[in-house]
Amino acid sequence: MPNLLQTYRKNRTLIITLVILFLLLLLAIQGMSTRDWVVTVLRGLAVGSITFLVAAGLSIILGLMDVLNLAHGTLFMIGAYVGWSMYVRPDTVVDATTPFLLVLAGFLLMPLWMPLLGRLRLGRSATRVWPWIALLAGLALLALALTRYPLSIWSGTEYQNSPIVWNQYFEAGTVQENVTPATFDTIIAAVVDWGSLLAGSVLVGLAVAGFAIARRGPTAQAARSVARPLMWFALVAAVAIGLYVVNTPLSDFLLSLSSNALFVLALIVAALVGAGLGGLMESTMIRPLYDRGIYQILLTLGLGFIGVEMVRSIWGRTGFTMPKPALFSSTGDGCPAESISGWLQHQCSTIIVDIGGEPARIRTYNELFVIAVGIVVLIAVWLLLQRTRLGMIIRAGVQDSRMVEALGINVRRVFTLVFALGVGLAAFGGVIAAPATGLSDTMGATLLLSSLIALAIGGLTSFPGAAAGAVIVGLTQQFIIRYGQLGINLPFLAEPWKPSPPLVPASVILLMIIILLVLPQGLFGRSE
Amino acid sequence: MSNILEVRNIHTYISQFHILEGVDVEVPKGGIVALLGRNGAGKTTTLKTIMGLTPPRSGEIIFDQEPVQGRPSYEIASLGIGFVPENRGIFRDLSVLENLKIAERKKGDLDRKSDFIFELFPDLQRLIKLPGTHLSGGQQQMLAVARALVPDNRLLLIDEPSEGLAPVIIEAMMEAIRRLSSETTVLLVEQNFIVASQLAQHYVIIEEGRSVQAGLMADLVHDKATIQRYLGAA
Amino acid sequence: MNAQTTGRFAWKSHIGFIVTVVGLAALPFIMAVMEGLPVGSLLANDSSTAKFLQGLLVEVFILAVFAISYDLVLGVTGLLSFGHGMFFAFGSYLTGVLLKTFGWPLWAVLVGAVVAGLFNALLFAVVLPRVKGITFALVTLGIASVFDILIRTQELNPYTGSDVGLQGIPRPDFLNPVDDRLRFYYVTLAFAILVYLIYKRFVDSPTGRVCVATRENENRALTIGFNTFYFKLAALMVAGITASLAGMFNTLYKPLVSPEIAGLGFTVEGLLMLLIGGIGTLSGAMIGAAILRLMEYYLSRWFGESSAFILGAIYVLIVMFLPYGIVGTWRLRRLDIAAGRQRLLSMFTGRQRETPDEGKL
Repeated sequence: MPNLLQTYRKNRTLIITLVILFLLLLLAIQGMSTRDWVVTVLRGLAVGSITFLVAAGLSIILGLMDVLNLAHGTLFMIGAYVGWSMYVRPDTVVDATTPFLLVLAGFLLMPLWMPLLGRLRLGRSATRVWPWIALLAGLALLALALTRYPLSIWSGTEYQNSPIVWNQYFEAGTVQENVTPATFDTIIAAVVDWGSLLAGSVLVGLAVAGFAIARRGPTAQAARSVARPLMWFALVAAVAIGLYVVNTPLSDFLLSLSSNALFVLALIVAALVGAGLGGLMESTMIRPLYDRGIYQILLTLGLGFIGVEMVRSIWGRTGFTMPKPALFSSTGDGCPAESISGWLQHQCSTIIVDIGGEPARIRTYNELFVIAVGIVVLIAVWLLLQRTRLGMIIRAGVQDSRMVEALGINVRRVFTLVFALGVGLAAFGGVIAAPATGLSDTMGATLLLSSLIALAIGGLTSFPGAAAGAVIVGLTQQFIIRYGQLGINLPFLAEPWKPSPPLVPASVILLMIIILLVLPQGLFGRSE
Repeated sequence: MSNILEVRNIHTYISQFHILEGVDVEVPKGGIVALLGRNGAGKTTTLKTIMGLTPPRSGEIIFDQEPVQGRPSYEIASLGIGFVPENRGIFRDLSVLENLKIAERKKGDLDRKSDFIFELFPDLQRLIKLPGTHLSGGQQQMLAVARALVPDNRLLLIDEPSEGLAPVIIEAMMEAIRRLSSETTVLLVEQNFIVASQLAQHYVIIEEGRSVQAGLMADLVHDKATIQRYLGAA
Repeated sequence: MNAQTTGRFAWKSHIGFIVTVVGLAALPFIMAVMEGLPVGSLLANDSSTAKFLQGLLVEVFILAVFAISYDLVLGVTGLLSFGHGMFFAFGSYLTGVLLKTFGWPLWAVLVGAVVAGLFNALLFAVVLPRVKGITFALVTLGIASVFDILIRTQELNPYTGSDVGLQGIPRPDFLNPVDDRLRFYYVTLAFAILVYLIYKRFVDSPTGRVCVATRENENRALTIGFNTFYFKLAALMVAGITASLAGMFNTLYKPLVSPEIAGLGFTVEGLLMLLIGGIGTLSGAMIGAAILRLMEYYLSRWFGESSAFILGAIYVLIVMFLPYGIVGTWRLRRLDIAAGRQRLLSMFTGRQRETPDEGKL
């Protein structure tokens, strides 16, 4: 008997998880046919796997640097929108890359300014004032140059040019015919605009260095290397202008690609943009706030709201769908397929399988693909955490990042990297989710809420906890939805109660509160 | 110059509290220096200040001819300083092997040093797969010291190696520290005067955030008055 | 610093407060005079710009009460709650439903709002002994989201109006912002002042001090022998009742309830008010509410749809560069000045004095 008790204590979390899952499934199978049950489980796992893509980064970031990144949902959404743009309008992405790279090139010169400005001797008030002037002038230049930059882009407000219409072109295969390339009228206009983009970002960079000097006084550090920033600057600027030169052939090439290839490109671009945004966020805004507790949470909350407004202004307030890649969209002959190989052969959107004597329709993208991606990412992140040096540093840093630093490891750089990876994963998840759920300005907030619940259930900083929590959230949601359609027999009601769909998230929140009341540390959390 | 570490008049604040109010420490190359003093005198803070974990507000810390005060602690560590903190700083979720591996600064550090480490602490070889949570206090202490030996450190800062250990293990620990001090210099914080006096050649006494006396351990052992005054019972 | 220490009423230290109160009380008349309207037309409740501005200020007073109640929970007691908007929304909805569907008299609605506030505080307090920090934030966010979802469901449509919200709520005769806006103005002004004074008293009381101690170091407060749970509960109850009453006034003034006040966005707006004024300063919360409401009004007039973006940017800039807010920064400055004067004095007298600690507010 004591032996049994010991086993229980050791595997407490595992047993409780299994018991909860078991009860959930037991409850679920009542009044539901086997087919319904299987389909619901698959849908639950699919929702869980998208939730997991967001929750994974959230929990690692929270564990390693104690930052609850409430902007994570928004970044997931931005990933989805960027992915859609690359997928449906790759020419716009090519257009926008040139000015973006030019601004980046200007900022790449920043390491040169500190030593250079350090030699400058100015009066006290001049030292304080000029950075403000440089900042305002730089921002004004950037704003002016960016608004005048010719972009061939959809419109967020005008229906004829809206993403919805572009989706229709995409499905009809006529995107290329409807695109009107945007170019500068004259080469002089182009050079002027590029020049002002560079000058603007250089001025902003100078201002930042100026602020640092005004606060700390000039530091007598020599430039580590003049050649390296200059080299990067030249490289990035050359790529930017090169892209403009080859803009039309490149856009034509991208537009002629198959939707499968474009989807892969969209995943890569979104993940890169997400990682870039994440790295930028951590290194410029969150880093100064590491020792100011709740201000990080307030900051990320605010950034999340700004991100939503940005998405609304670029892509419009109306939600739209993302067409599925060809591999998952055919309804023609041979479809719906009856096996995996049949699907791959005919690229069907659905598979019909016989379960318990009833035909079950399983969507290849929404269920099979999304679950597969979730499993692959789960294994990849687990391998990263368990088998690589970076993973080792993360696991050690979750416990005590200062001790890791005292071993001679640059933890700050690891922080930036992990933040970038986590956000990149969320943005990747956004693209995965978009064809299944569509795009809307609330998708970030909805997913943030469910992944926060997943985190709380799983124990906040535990990676397996995040995965288990995400699956529990997904399954609960889908079972309640299914029950809502079937109706729940309540003892005090004559007719079965059919809860309206919005009640589903409420039930998941209640589940979280119950679990937290029983286990305040969550399922996999450790009591400190 | 034969001093590998010189700490000159450092002042350290933790939030608004003035913890160190002028500490000087000189650590000659080779051998062991003991930091002595009562509980709360500022010994641990001195080590943390040297490591850059609680940076000093003023004063100088010179490691091997190079001023290091105000630099981030990973840079200070990379110059060749190993740190064994008071709470041992063992990573619970990492196995013993991983706890050693994480301290590598170059690839292959552990392979080169493993013979020496396992000779000093034979127990660790047996426990190599175990996660850090399952180690006893003594094993954790051994692992913490072993971890500091993985990279080529020229100075080890060891905080209270004998704290909370059984007498037999203290003996083993002392033997290990004595042997490793033939390879690297050690700056030791030790409450237990008997342990300190048997290990160290030099001492520095810290009292209320100030270094008040320094010299050869051989002299201090006979100076009952000083021991009584600064360290309580001897 | 306090009136009690001298025994006599220290006019000087209250001068700012008194000027504000008198100024706000006289403001409707000043505005009328500036517009060249006879004071009589003001009393006769003619519609004019003056009336519109009164309305704007009424909203400011209501939001100020909401903000100060949030400050008590977040700033003074240090409970990271992301569901505070629910306290306000609950009061709003309850008032609307009681007036519209059940036709209760005003006094009964008032009692109902108080009970609702207590109920909400208890709801949050259920998890209080078990969870802390971020988990508490998540639980409060969760409870508030459940409330948000519930009021939008079809099942409660006859009462709450789902996504449309409550409209056409009957106005009680005594407090009718259309027929007699001036009375409404003074009632809400008096309400805001009363709440401020009560809060001030609460924070200075022994109970309030323990709340502050809980924020600073809960374990220490526990070791001294205070059961911090009761103090947190007390702060939540006081905040719950006031926020709920603020919600009631909001419904009476508008008179409609939009479901937006139940969302996370409204809580974030409350946070923004606290940040502008300075977290944990009480008066800062009210000043922040005033600045935010007026800023929102003018920004949306000048920039239209992109005003939300600008507000977000302001929020982020404040978090990064003005973390103590207006009142907090001002108090720090004053400490600096006081410290400088101390140093100057000590140069003449040759005596050393401890300089006040900068890090604390």
